[in-house]
Amino acid sequence: MKPFRHINVPGVAEAVDYLNKFPGSSRLIAGGTDLLGVLKDDILPAYPELLINIKAIPGLDYLREDENGLSIGALVKLAFLARSPLVREKYKVLADAARSVGTPQLRNMATVGGNLGQETRCWYYRYPHGIGGRIQCQRKGSGPCLAVGGDNRYHVIMGGKGCFAACPSDLATALAALEGSIKTEGAGGGRIISIGEFFHPLGNALKAGEMIVELQVPPLPAGSRQHWLKYTLREPVDFAVVSVAVLTVLEAGICREARIALGAVAPGPLRALQAEQFLKGKEPIPEVLQEAAVLAVQGAKPLSKNGYKVEIARVLVLRALEASFAGHK
Amino acid sequence: MKKVIKLTVNGMEKELLVDVHSTLLDVLREDLGLKGTKKGCNQGECGACTVLIDGNPVPSCSLLAVKADGKDVLTIEGVAEAGKLHAIQEVFNEKGAIQCGFCTPGMILVTKKLLDDNPNPDEQEIKEAIAGNICRCTGYAQIIEAIMALAGRKQVR
Repeated sequence: MKPFRHINVPGVAEAVDYLNKFPGSSRLIAGGTDLLGVLKDDILPAYPELLINIKAIPGLDYLREDENGLSIGALVKLAFLARSPLVREKYKVLADAARSVGTPQLRNMATVGGNLGQETRCWYYRYPHGIGGRIQCQRKGSGPCLAVGGDNRYHVIMGGKGCFAACPSDLATALAALEGSIKTEGAGGGRIISIGEFFHPLGNALKAGEMIVELQVPPLPAGSRQHWLKYTLREPVDFAVVSVAVLTVLEAGICREARIALGAVAPGPLRALQAEQFLKGKEPIPEVLQEAAVLAVQGAKPLSKNGYKVEIARVLVLRALEASFAGHK
Repeated sequence: MKKVIKLTVNGMEKELLVDVHSTLLDVLREDLGLKGTKKGCNQGECGACTVLIDGNPVPSCSLLAVKADGKDVLTIEGVAEAGKLHAIQEVFNEKGAIQCGFCTPGMILVTKKLLDDNPNPDEQEIKEAIAGNICRCTGYAQIIEAIMALAGRKQVR
């Protein structure tokens, strides 16, 4: 790694201060599992001069549940989230998503804020500078997307524009099914961004000098069930080819609510609204679920080499719905 | 930029002047000469660089040394005591759970953490515990067998 300066900050206000004092030349570091990869491979045109270590900020690793739902401090580690009895019991898709990330070792360091804020895994974007020079692209500010005419087997099948990299965050998929949001702090104060609006094709909604401080999950619909599925090439240590999180409510055998969130198919987690609407008021018999799964991937526009992801997404939606509805019995 | 950090490494307190951009792995290997911790992928994915920090396995290649300041670090060199191999090391030897040896330090350390928390893990728990450690020689069978033996369980094949 090339040199940088490194400071520990005692609180969120100081972190935001430093971010704003060194715009464009500073980065936050928490677990650092993603950032160190970015720095080692030197993939970005601007190498940070300063790393602001937020890991030691006290009181930012809380897990709280009250009448407003669940709040998760940005510094909560994935291992902690995955093991929490409360999360496993009530917010199952979040626990399962956290448990599916990386390795046990990485989950001991990686934080929830970092999981949402991590850089994309697009292999053109991530191409190491040390092996023939970094690749410029729209996401880095200029140049065409090489994935469109190149090897795009892991790229998006929906919603790409300028950049076709898929959202790498598993927690984002789970949060989308729970209709969660992200609380931030910045120079102009804090704000709350719904998970559906956090990811953009070229990056995320964070402004310069703004940081994630909390994830929020509103109270769950009464009697709801959830299910998480993630398709990877090898079981551990892999990013999703496609992930799915669903939440269902069944009353007297009739589906009252269904939420279907698809991950790694678009720049952000994607709700399959048409399929959700279709399920409402129906009995979740096999034909209905099959039709919903078809609707969930309707409108997909795969690139040259990732048409297979459409079929994987359809099958995962079907299986997740089957499992979630089965959970009501 | 350099910084002084304090680490407890294998029970011994160390005060070190390190580059802030050095990983803990590089400090352990290059500054302290503890070459038992291996550099595999250097991306946090293979588990060869695993050390225990305050008892928990972490990939030392993906942790800046300055962030380990004040922490307790256990490397493979600290597992044997008074020149006598740890029971985990003995069983890995016996069962042929070592071939090239590159994954072994990491495997031993995650096994130690697993057995410290749960002396009788079942096969699934063992597989989950070693899921972050890649072995290209054994196909994992002998490693799982060795840990099963330590856990007092007979493997069902």
